[in-house]
Amino acid sequence: MTAFVVYLLTIAGIYGIMSLSLSLQYGQTGLVNFGQIGLFMVGAYASAALTVVAGWPIILGAIAGVAAAALFGVLMALPIGDLRQDYWAIATLAAAELIRVVFLNATLGDPYVGASYGVSGIPSPLLELIPDGSYGWFYLALVGLCAAGCYGVVIWACRSPFGRVLKSLREGGDEVAQALGKEVRRARISAMALGGAIAGLGGVLFAHYIGYIDPTYFLPLETFLVWAMVILGGSGNHLGALGGALIIQIINNGTRFLNLPDQFAALRMVLIGVLIILVILYMPKGLIPERRRRYGGRNAARR
Amino acid sequence: MITQILINSLIRGSELALLAVGLTMIYDVLRFPSFVHVEFGTVGAFIAFSISSILPFGPITAIVIGGCAAMVIGGALGVASDRLIFSRLRDATPIILMVASFGLAFVFRFGSQAIWGASPQSFPLPLMRSWSVLGGRLAPQSAAIIIATVISMLVFYFLLNRTRLGIAMRATADDADLSEASGAYSERIIRVVWFIGAGFAALGGILIGVATQVQPNMGYAVILPVFAAAIFGGIGNPYGAVLGAMVIGLAENVGLAINWAALLQPLGLVDTDYLAIPVGYKQAIPFALLIFMLLFRPQGLLGRKST
Repeated sequence: MTAFVVYLLTIAGIYGIMSLSLSLQYGQTGLVNFGQIGLFMVGAYASAALTVVAGWPIILGAIAGVAAAALFGVLMALPIGDLRQDYWAIATLAAAELIRVVFLNATLGDPYVGASYGVSGIPSPLLELIPDGSYGWFYLALVGLCAAGCYGVVIWACRSPFGRVLKSLREGGDEVAQALGKEVRRARISAMALGGAIAGLGGVLFAHYIGYIDPTYFLPLETFLVWAMVILGGSGNHLGALGGALIIQIINNGTRFLNLPDQFAALRMVLIGVLIILVILYMPKGLIPERRRRYGGRNAARR
Repeated sequence: MITQILINSLIRGSELALLAVGLTMIYDVLRFPSFVHVEFGTVGAFIAFSISSILPFGPITAIVIGGCAAMVIGGALGVASDRLIFSRLRDATPIILMVASFGLAFVFRFGSQAIWGASPQSFPLPLMRSWSVLGGRLAPQSAAIIIATVISMLVFYFLLNRTRLGIAMRATADDADLSEASGAYSERIIRVVWFIGAGFAALGGILIGVATQVQPNMGYAVILPVFAAAIFGGIGNPYGAVLGAMVIGLAENVGLAINWAALLQPLGLVDTDYLAIPVGYKQAIPFALLIFMLLFRPQGLLGRKST
């Protein structure tokens, strides 16, 4: 039971990092990324392939995974930087599926590595230094540390002038940012790069935690779990994204050890779908609403 | 060989066309891409399967009756979705509508899985001999798919151009306020659009189910080709959507059949004599086409130039 709770919290932490990334892209910038899982997948695969096939040290593989995911975020945004958000939704969904089809077909170095065989034997960091039985706790702490770090980065980025440009894109559309002399296309692409790096870190942590990955772990379904987390937690509030990740993962994993029939797995997803709709209809600000910052002095606020 | 590729493209295009036409209509009138659209196909196929399996007729009669009933039920589900969810979000941004439609897609897809199970099921069609057409082979159920699509498109064309309802629909899509001022009650038009769109989607799902199998993921499996078809033809243009569906069908089948080396070798890009796209990448063709289209002509082939 303790082991299960540690597992659940670790997975919730990894998905918390994912939802922080989406919170930056959607909550702050208003970008509809329906291909979030693609960024996660690129991070996971890059780090797994480099450590398993090329034999790199884990830390270098992790850095490469984060960088590759950031690059993929830029690639996703490049063709659609100037387009409306409905096009973003479709194009990002297509980009994530495209990369999944590539990983589903491409072998990595060896004919039985990659493709549908997946990558197995992904090393766990510092495994030999941690006493037996407490590795789960160690990894949970590592994930917690990374999530806290990402939270700090997201908050810092959102409070910076760059963050205010992103918010102006969400609130005012292109015109407001353009009127202030900001390059909207560049701002969107930068947001996708930072969001990609964070989601990529989530993917790296996932790959080295599970130890085995194949393309079935990265179905579009997972993207919508992340969306459910952000919508439920309150879009625009990054703490809410973390809370939403915990709640959705409890719904998603919490009933697994009860040994319920197969049909129940589908009903769990129905429940998450209903939850998304109910939150949109009755609680559009989510569990923890965004704090509206007022700019200017006391008088400006009272006006 | 070439005839067979054209026949296969036509079948694939017909499967996608019905779904793409409904999607483009709803997109045009309600101004958001509905991610639940293809799930009406899944639910419709399952309902047709269930109804036809309890009817005491021969398999073909049962499937036709079950299919018609499932289209009506699918259309009614579309109207119900609008009343329960989307009508309350008329003032919301397209982003919220897209996310809500994805939530509803979850409910339909996994609801179907909970009710009918995850394993694929087949319509109880008797074994039929394929016909030989100009050197290619055409199975009777594939011919039925093409015929059903052509009939639906003709009915839809007549409705859109020759009836007051169709004219009101086009007016609402053009400018909802103006058409409401001219006496077309837009809420009623929106209901009709949902009914026809979801009903067509249900028929599209049934046809895919007849051609292959019925399973909970069948709708989701075609969501990107359907979007690609709608965007290719230009959003809001039903003829464009049909054209787009045919282009996607052709691209999927021709893309695999071409020996790309013959094209790339003269350009000095490759040095082998044979280079084909591996079959595993077939599903990537519409995605790539979609991204290419967004890059160079986001308003679509037949679309009006707008923002």
